[in-house]
Amino acid sequence: MAVAISADTNDESRELSRKANLTFPLLSDRKAEVIRSFDLLVPKGGEDNRDISGIAEFLLDSSGTVRWRHFGETRAERFVDEAKKL
Amino acid sequence: MAAKLWNWRLWAGLGLSVGALAGYVFVVNETRAVFWPALLLFVAAAVLLVSGVQRRSREPELYRGKIAGRVLTTLSVVMLGLFGFVAYQVSRVFPDAKNAPQIGQRAPEFSLVDTNGKNFTLTQLLSNPITNSSGVARATKGVLVVFYRGYW
Repeated sequence: MAVAISADTNDESRELSRKANLTFPLLSDRKAEVIRSFDLLVPKGGEDNRDISGIAEFLLDSSGTVRWRHFGETRAERFVDEAKKL
Repeated sequence: MAAKLWNWRLWAGLGLSVGALAGYVFVVNETRAVFWPALLLFVAAAVLLVSGVQRRSREPELYRGKIAGRVLTTLSVVMLGLFGFVAYQVSRVFPDAKNAPQIGQRAPEFSLVDTNGKNFTLTQLLSNPITNSSGVARATKGVLVVFYRGYW
């Protein structure tokens, strides 16, 4: 199971989800509270000086413990390889 | 006249610079803290290069490295410049993320709504069984949480 989080509004996420044909949920963190709690905030990094999230991926095991993490974009195969280790 | 000695410090200086830049680029996406070790390697490279150049100018009869000294020092400065450029770009695009959950730590709980208005919490994601393509439900092994900059 995968979820993707950004500071986008639900409308923006819906647009992205539709255009890119995404099958996993896009979660809207408009106030960037979750982004802050993961310490990933890029203040005024977005359009119109919006606060946005940095790019990061966390693979959690069934207890919610981080088993793998990565900052920046990466290839999807990395996720698959790491997820197989769980 | 006897062959002059190889001025290894110059080459080691360049080697360290290349290693520092390559190491930084390779590891920075795993941890941002690699900045300081990389900078330390550049300092060590500078020490080696300076001492290599000084050795050559003190004892030009004994050591090689007149041209190599200039070339290798220039190359090392280029490596340092690239390092500065990459580090600047990284700091602009990625947050410091010093307090991001580390490997082995629990991820903070969250509760967010998706594009269909459905609420997702981390606890639910971890405890709800998932159903595979043949309709068999089983306990989830884990969750991948991706943060992205957004759609613009």
